[in-house]
Amino acid sequence: MEPARHVFRVLLLLLVAVVIFVLGRTFLVPSSYGEHGPYRYANVAEQRAVRAPRHGGPAACGACHAERLKAVAAGAHRAVSCEVCHAPLARHAADGAKRAEMPVDPSAAACARCHRKIDGRPAAFPQIVLAQHQGGVEKTPCLDCHDAHSPKL
Amino acid sequence: MPEITGFAFPNDVHVHWSLMIVMYPYITGFVAGAFIVTALYHLFGKKEFEPVARLAMATSFCFMAIATFPLNLHLGHPERAGYVMVTPNFSSAMAGFGLIYSGYFVVLLLEVWFVYRREIIETARRSRGVKRALYAALALGTYDTSPEALEIDHRAVKILSAIGLPAACMLHGYVGFIFGGIKANPWWSTPLMPVIFLLSAAVSGIALLVVLHQVTAKLWRRPVERETVQAMVRWLWFFLIITVTLELLEIVLLAYENSDAWHIISQLLTTRLEFSFISVQMIVGSLVPFILLAIVVTMNRYLHDRVRNTLAVVASLLLLVQVFAMRWNIVIGGQLLSKSFRGLRSGYRPELFDREGILVAIALLVLPFVLLWIFDRVLPIEPAAPPPRPPPDPEVGPEPAGGTA
Amino acid sequence: MDENRKDATAPASPAVGRRAFVATALRLGGGLVAFLAGVPAGAAEQADYDWTQHRWAYLVDTTRCIGCGACVRACRTENDVPGGFFRTWVERYVVSPEASHVDSPRGGLDGFAPIQTPFTPTKSFFVPKICNHCEETPCVQVCPVGASYRTRDGVVLVDGERCIGCGYCVQACPYGSRFLSPETHTAEKCTWCYHRITKGLRPACVEVCPTGTRRFGNMLREDDPVRIAISKERVSVLQPHLLTEPQCFYLGLDKEVR
Repeated sequence: MEPARHVFRVLLLLLVAVVIFVLGRTFLVPSSYGEHGPYRYANVAEQRAVRAPRHGGPAACGACHAERLKAVAAGAHRAVSCEVCHAPLARHAADGAKRAEMPVDPSAAACARCHRKIDGRPAAFPQIVLAQHQGGVEKTPCLDCHDAHSPKL
Repeated sequence: MPEITGFAFPNDVHVHWSLMIVMYPYITGFVAGAFIVTALYHLFGKKEFEPVARLAMATSFCFMAIATFPLNLHLGHPERAGYVMVTPNFSSAMAGFGLIYSGYFVVLLLEVWFVYRREIIETARRSRGVKRALYAALALGTYDTSPEALEIDHRAVKILSAIGLPAACMLHGYVGFIFGGIKANPWWSTPLMPVIFLLSAAVSGIALLVVLHQVTAKLWRRPVERETVQAMVRWLWFFLIITVTLELLEIVLLAYENSDAWHIISQLLTTRLEFSFISVQMIVGSLVPFILLAIVVTMNRYLHDRVRNTLAVVASLLLLVQVFAMRWNIVIGGQLLSKSFRGLRSGYRPELFDREGILVAIALLVLPFVLLWIFDRVLPIEPAAPPPRPPPDPEVGPEPAGGTA
Repeated sequence: MDENRKDATAPASPAVGRRAFVATALRLGGGLVAFLAGVPAGAAEQADYDWTQHRWAYLVDTTRCIGCGACVRACRTENDVPGGFFRTWVERYVVSPEASHVDSPRGGLDGFAPIQTPFTPTKSFFVPKICNHCEETPCVQVCPVGASYRTRDGVVLVDGERCIGCGYCVQACPYGSRFLSPETHTAEKCTWCYHRITKGLRPACVEVCPTGTRRFGNMLREDDPVRIAISKERVSVLQPHLLTEPQCFYLGLDKEVR
């Protein structure tokens, strides 16, 4: 096999390369990879903890604002979460204490987003044509007449 | 902001697969196509291809060396590109890239080595100092050029060619599979996609070699063999016919079945892709070369060498453009239509200076030729030219036919 | 976990227990403090959540949607969604037997303005869309590095540390749910607010929906209202012919919706 010596050298080189690759790979594969499937299982816990929840829901608001929550629950906006009009809880409270004011948009545009009459809204849903509501309210903010927390007049 | 006609899903307005993803199949197309040419000589023993066999092999090698560049330029995290080798998810065609690319790289590297081994040793023996050490290392320290060793080399090249041909086909075929396996996109989803990509790669590879052969023949002052040009033109014509037939077949079938996808695809072809598909890919890129090559193939006997060479080169240059247009129309075209099947976005315009832009694409096309030049300096593609024939002595008369050369 | 608001006029049940409110608020507060302190919030929660006890599903009742866009806004603030991209969006369909018109201005982020169509519509409706968290996901299938995966409790997630940003999953999703974030350069999409549902909360979009259009539930609980609705009522999914087996079910879907 003397004339084939160069072939053996090549094959040896190839073998060394493969071994280096396989060994190197074992160092590089993450430890939790493959535990439950072809992915890094540790990421599941990371996703659970990716950030603190920012929305609390009305129940969380009620922890401090119980009276307000009761009033809303008795009115027509009982199904509307506080955070729809006010900002998410995380912007306002931390550790049971207030850390910032709760912004709210008092303009008619905020109310119109839900209550302006447009194609597509179920007919039973309360919606108005701005120009026809009480003789025309394009210039009047809704909150002049309606209480946002119990809007039915 | 892109303009949308109709309705597109809000996330669909972005073209994520850019010019770089058009360049990648274009480049691997050359890799596969050039390898097909060299395999026609080394594996199938077609003598007409001998003059271009080494050039084709070197071309395949140089394009393959930079094939990963467009991909790395495109990735959101190129530093993590190695993950494809470390934790490949083999249900994904893209994961095959790591193995296929490395495998084919090794095969081609070995084939180059076995073809050039004798010359490497001879160069090592002739040289001194650093150059000698370099070539000795390339020869892996053995200096055996006996007939038995050369016979082993010859057999090794044949085996490697036999492995390399399907490997090269897989290297480009899997790219077609990447598109063909996406059921979400009707412009891409067809079993024909890997086949079309591969045949189109053969077209681009042969066309490139036709041009390169003419160019290098002029540079190195070698004759251009009529049989070589004729053989390449014949194969080129053959592959062109099949490729365009399949490309058109796909569209005809979609139109015939008139499924929900046809409505948006016909809109895509006639509005957004009107120039790049109908004008460039089909008329200028396919019909004209078809006619030019048909002239060469059918009227071979009546053609002067210069006419044949010119027609072949012009047709090949047009085909190089056609293959690029085909990649563009598939990659970019598929992203212009929204998954809603109700909307198209305005055409994608690559930036000039972007990481995935036009200048980078041009650089990627120039780089393999720079590498080819370097390749030629280290491992001469053409063996040393024979001494020029002395002019016939008027006393003695012209040299007898078959004289020393 | 709060009951799903199936009936929009039902009271918010303050009588369920002040303890529950305070517990939730304290947990949130504690989580916020922990988050602000740099400790991964919910580290103590991991032992509480057992993913084998849950198989999540989502239900959209398109007959109730008013197109207010509160869900889109809530998702954006809950998940830091980059501008111009959407983890959820709302589409409006305005339809007549001869023609149809679909739009989604900025995904419905600011609601919808009145619209004029060249034809007279006979019906119109809104369709909220999100990632369908399919059982036979084409997106997980095509991820080359295993960054995209499906958890045991049925949520499709993207590992932001493994994702190489190739964009294959974005191409493979038939619903347009995915995008490449220009900030992280990785693939992103709706996660069903995994960081919330594993703490007993609901996804942010479900939390703020004022009409009970969006509902979320656990298919492993026999008395779960979402499971009951899916089992008993006529539901459909998007692009069923692709057999991706979406886990987001729809009530009241029209043939115009893709």
